[in-house]
Amino acid sequence: MEKCYLTIGLEVHCQLLTKAKMFCRCGTDYIGKEPNSLVCPVCMGLPGSLPVMNRKAMELAIRTAMTLHCEILPRVIFHRKNYFYPDLPKGYQISQFDFPIGINGTLEFMGQGEKKKVRIKRVHVEEDAGKLVHEGLNIPSECSGVDFNRCGIPLVEIVTEPDLHSPEDARDYLTMLRSIVRYIGVSDGNMEEGSLRCDANISLSLTEKTMGVKVEVKNMNSFRSVYHALEFELSRQQKCLAEGKKLFPETRHWDETRGVTVSSRGKEEAQDYRYFPDPDLLPHTIEQVILNDIQSNLPELPLEKKERFMFDYELTETEANVLVQDCSLANFFESCIKELNKPKFIANWVITEVLKNLNDLRQDIQHSKITPAALMDLLKMVDRKEISGTIAKSVLEDMFQSGAKAKDVIAKKGISFMSNEKELEKIVHQIIEQNPQSIADYLSGKEKALHFLIGQVMKVTRGQASPEIVKNILNKELSAERSLCGPREPF
Amino acid sequence: MSEKISLDEIKKMAQLSKLSFSQEELEQFFVDINSVVSHFDKLNQLDLSDVSPTSHISWSQPPSNPDEPREWPGRQEVFAHAPQVIDSYFIVPKVVDKQEE
Ligand SMILES: [Zn+2]
Repeated sequence: MEKCYLTIGLEVHCQLLTKAKMFCRCGTDYIGKEPNSLVCPVCMGLPGSLPVMNRKAMELAIRTAMTLHCEILPRVIFHRKNYFYPDLPKGYQISQFDFPIGINGTLEFMGQGEKKKVRIKRVHVEEDAGKLVHEGLNIPSECSGVDFNRCGIPLVEIVTEPDLHSPEDARDYLTMLRSIVRYIGVSDGNMEEGSLRCDANISLSLTEKTMGVKVEVKNMNSFRSVYHALEFELSRQQKCLAEGKKLFPETRHWDETRGVTVSSRGKEEAQDYRYFPDPDLLPHTIEQVILNDIQSNLPELPLEKKERFMFDYELTETEANVLVQDCSLANFFESCIKELNKPKFIANWVITEVLKNLNDLRQDIQHSKITPAALMDLLKMVDRKEISGTIAKSVLEDMFQSGAKAKDVIAKKGISFMSNEKELEKIVHQIIEQNPQSIADYLSGKEKALHFLIGQVMKVTRGQASPEIVKNILNKELSAERSLCGPREPF
Repeated sequence: MSEKISLDEIKKMAQLSKLSFSQEELEQFFVDINSVVSHFDKLNQLDLSDVSPTSHISWSQPPSNPDEPREWPGRQEVFAHAPQVIDSYFIVPKVVDKQEE
């Protein structure tokens, strides 16, 4: 079929990292808590209760908007978004409408090796709803259970303009956005746990100038499901257009198990949320000092950091990309190079071995037992050629699991330091004496014989010597041997 | 009296508010609400082109909370007033999301 033009816009909700809720003092640490244990009259919508704004939540929302280069609207007005659902005890959600925190921002991300830019339409704050449970051990099948622990937790909503043009773009944008909210400490961005949620608007048209019909896709619970849902929607809509069928605006839900999107029935009339300013919350102005303070404390962002790493440490783009994706990993790397100024060597170890171990243990660097100092104790030994890379790898694996220091693991494993060259020289002499044929072979120009000799030394040392050092000693000894045999080169 | 709000709009408002009324009540609302809305015609006679909309009469620094959680001690009392509580969940008639229908 003919070429299609795909347009995607994303709406992302991030849970803000506050300790207390948006308009009351209940705690936000709800995961694993008993239902309705983090509640009060405000977040349960009991009559007579009044909301009071959490300053920190506003600060985090402003930080998000500033980081996304938004124009900040210093007038703060909260609106009520009205709808009826049992997870919303007040009958309305406190949100923002015509005065969001920020408008007209941008976000840059790397999409398939290319730097791309998405316009951010708006960034606003709102409160989360509660949670409904449809099945539980003791909940009768004709009933649902309501838990208000999550109700009233601050969220920031980030809405893009329709600037994304492929499922890959959408995924890469989300990856960068998550990285950014983590960098600036406003959200943990964990999609599986629901602290980052994403809805997508997708439309397909046959010409570049016209806009297709907007279809909203919801219920995607991971980056992968966003990608797959959009891919599915793309092919479904392509097929419809190819068959000459008409598409119509609708909301569809992603069904993870079946791998399809399903139309939500019965939404003939558009939702009418009857937004109006919440009379319980005073409109106010954010003071310029506060804005300046937030602005001056914005940290370096992933793309900036990547460029600095490439320039300062001469890393490749791929290496830098891996290191900057997680701010703690980037910080870890930078702490390491303070101990030994060999960025390339350290980057290589962090990207391969450190990440591999973290992956195996399903940990992130913050929660791992390895500190930069501990890693560097080990890598300095590798750098001084006291232990081989292979041994260091197995020592590191042990360090990740036990949290022990490099030298303790080495002692425990019975790996002796073969750094003592005198000792090694002795072994080398032994090997040379025991293998006259190989020596002769080598001296007559057979390079392979050297590898055999190195192998013999490694065997005697049970692999604990550094092959590099062994090779150096052998070379030294053999050139002495060579000069004894008489000069081969003319003087 | 001029009609500002149609009977259909009144019915829709009732529906959005999840309220049901008899035909007589709806017709009475039709008369009442239109007379209230007509009252605004008087205000519209003023030239307000330089005045920005007022969403609240106060425009000052409101009180705000620090980000320090505090436990609220009264939840057992709320449970006691709820029609049904099982395993600390408030029990409501089954709600199924549209996508699950
Ligand atoms: Zn509360």
